[in-house]
Amino acid sequence: MGIQDMMQTGRSGMIAAKAGISTTGHNIANANTEGYSRQRVHQQTNDPVTSPDHRSFVGRGVNVSRIDRVNDGYLEKQIRRGSMDLAELEEKDLGLTQIEDIFNELHGDGLNRIISKFFNQFRSLSNDPDNESLRQAVREASQSVINDFKRLRTDVIDVQNHLDNRIEGYVQDVNRLAKEIRDLNVRIADYESRAEPANDLMDHRDIKIKELSDLIETRVRYDKKNMVSVDLKGGGPLVSTVLNYELSVKRTGSDDEGKSTGTYDIFSNVSSPGKLTHSLQGGKLGGTLNVRDRSLNTVLSRLDEMAFNIAKTVNEIHRQGVTRNGVKGVNFFKEPVQVHRASEYLKLSDEVMSNVNFIATAATKDAPGDNRIAIAISGLQDMKLMNDGKSSFDEWYNGIVADVGMAKSHNTEGINQQKNIVGQLNKMREQISGVSIDEETMDLMKYQHAFDASARVISVADQMLETVLNIKKL
Amino acid sequence: MRITHNSNHDLVQNSILQSKGRMEKLQREGSSLKKINTPSDDPVAAAKILQMRTEKENNISFRDTAKLAEAYLGNSDNALSQMTDLLIRAKEIAIGQSSGASSNEGTRFGISEEVSQLFKQAISIANTRVAGRYIFGGYKTNSPPVNDKGNYQGDDGEMMVEIAKDVFINMNVPGLEAFNSQPRSSKDYREGQVEGRIFEDRGPAGVDADGNQDIEFQPRSEYEAIQGPQNANVFQELQRLRTGLLTGDLDSIRSTLDQFDQLIDKVNAVRSQIGSRLQGIESTSAAMDRHEITNAQLTQNLEDADLTQVMADMANEETVLRSTMSVSQRLLQPTLMDFIK
Repeated sequence: MGIQDMMQTGRSGMIAAKAGISTTGHNIANANTEGYSRQRVHQQTNDPVTSPDHRSFVGRGVNVSRIDRVNDGYLEKQIRRGSMDLAELEEKDLGLTQIEDIFNELHGDGLNRIISKFFNQFRSLSNDPDNESLRQAVREASQSVINDFKRLRTDVIDVQNHLDNRIEGYVQDVNRLAKEIRDLNVRIADYESRAEPANDLMDHRDIKIKELSDLIETRVRYDKKNMVSVDLKGGGPLVSTVLNYELSVKRTGSDDEGKSTGTYDIFSNVSSPGKLTHSLQGGKLGGTLNVRDRSLNTVLSRLDEMAFNIAKTVNEIHRQGVTRNGVKGVNFFKEPVQVHRASEYLKLSDEVMSNVNFIATAATKDAPGDNRIAIAISGLQDMKLMNDGKSSFDEWYNGIVADVGMAKSHNTEGINQQKNIVGQLNKMREQISGVSIDEETMDLMKYQHAFDASARVISVADQMLETVLNIKKL
Repeated sequence: MRITHNSNHDLVQNSILQSKGRMEKLQREGSSLKKINTPSDDPVAAAKILQMRTEKENNISFRDTAKLAEAYLGNSDNALSQMTDLLIRAKEIAIGQSSGASSNEGTRFGISEEVSQLFKQAISIANTRVAGRYIFGGYKTNSPPVNDKGNYQGDDGEMMVEIAKDVFINMNVPGLEAFNSQPRSSKDYREGQVEGRIFEDRGPAGVDADGNQDIEFQPRSEYEAIQGPQNANVFQELQRLRTGLLTGDLDSIRSTLDQFDQLIDKVNAVRSQIGSRLQGIESTSAAMDRHEITNAQLTQNLEDADLTQVMADMANEETVLRSTMSVSQRLLQPTLMDFIK
């Protein structure tokens, strides 16, 4: 063990302290970096040498064995899962809020009020069936009903289009992330092959995977070379180590799983048919698809059904009546052909449109005071004509409003719960992987002292050497 | 346990956001004075509110209808009360002139003029209008129900109107019913002016068990019951009295007496029917008023915010927010850095 060796020992301490200070600095610098896991320097002692008398070993300082990131893989997975659910709920909230706005008539007019007006106008007409202005009022009220059905439908379709745009954007995001994950895979494998842990790149990749799982439910697998493969749940592979696949959207017709005509289908280029629209789940993409193909579609078909039944039942009675010009068998609304899109095609019949005298109020000819048809039509208001004879029009429509509200409030509750869960998980992650400034400050002092002390060792060794060199002069 | 400044920050941020979120909700309640602003605030209550709003809207319409029916029936009653007076006068004339002792050609001639006037008056009563509509014409509301010869031109249509949910009343009395003691055996009925339809069918459309609409009008037993062979008609009897006076046919004059009695009874019966309908309207309206008050209270309970509660909650929330902020300031401020040179 020579004096030079002592200098080396001091140097190794300085190097280790420097690594410590660098890492501490890196931690502090990244304290606010999303997804950053704090890093820790692992030091170990160098192999000792035997003392000159061969009786004991003398230490030869320290080396930095590796720099690790402090990270719990299982927790990361839980966070991914939790924030995927949160992203899905939040995405659904967006769509549901829009639907709720459409059906919110608590502070204004809406279909509920307009339909009761419609029936009440018929009731007024039954009081005075021959009155021209009451007939006009009936036609006006019917036109309002028609317009409001159209408004609701158009608004719902607008939301659908809006969601479709989001779907397109999300699919692009998925593709971008898949490519980035694949690129990171390659770079990480490169580092790992040189036995250098790629801490920061792995953090980076973890963030990308988390971003991806915010979009869609995935399954992530790690291989021995620390490369990941990502599968879409129910949708085949997206990234398999150094390969990435692509999703695409295309406007297609409707299907019986709730997709409407002209909305996007999602395809993957993995297998030949590759249609994933109804197999993708979770995340923002899954949430959007769910709102588009479930909630919106239910609302639309319920509106259609209602418009269809109103037109159908009013016509049925109206046809039995005699108009002011003595004609029997005239339709009030244009007779609907099918339930699908009935709310869009709801219209007054050409006769009633052209002249209010074609509104039939009487059951017999030549009886201007006969109000039996008018009163029969007004009586439809309370008849259970929807839902297999279980609800009236009013109840049916209120049911839509309540369901929309229910879905929204349910979802909001879900968000609050999920936020708590994710918050808790993030807190746990912070406890493990987060950077504590206080802790780093202490580390900084610790390493600084170590650095100073190691330098001191070198200067002592230097003095010793000088002493040795000056022996002769003495 | 490791506490990092990031988790401190998250905690502070969350507490403030939560508090602000609650304040926003209170602000919305305070500014609209409603606790339900969107269906999702309380979906069940929202549906209930809409339902009650429809009821309210319907009640306005029912009220209008009830007023109209009241006017119709009131006017019918007035007209028929005039008719009773008229018939009583005719009966007095008939009594006065039915015995040879009190009647001679001269007085009979003069009095026949009065009967002519009574006849014209009866026609004008039968042709009473409310807001331009003839009230005794059945469904024929546009043309006078009785012509100048005293022939009935109307039909026997009864206008059913809804004065409360599922409560229907007929707001008119067809002249056929009011001016004949036995409508079914009347000449007007037999001669087919009215085509006998009301006796076979009437009433609002029903829905059968399959849910199909189907206008099957129910037979009217009320009319069936009043069947009888001998009919007396207001206009015919007045004419008969007049002819009897002009020709000096005392038997004929005497024979009208019984008929006038029948007619007076009939008109009074119709009037009492009208009276009970009017009473029905009144009690229905009263019930509707009570119902409406209950409804209004219920709606209020469901959707109106309790202002005091909102204010108290707001004050409370403000305190929470302030204390959150001041605590946060202390939590976030110091780091170890501050204490090292």
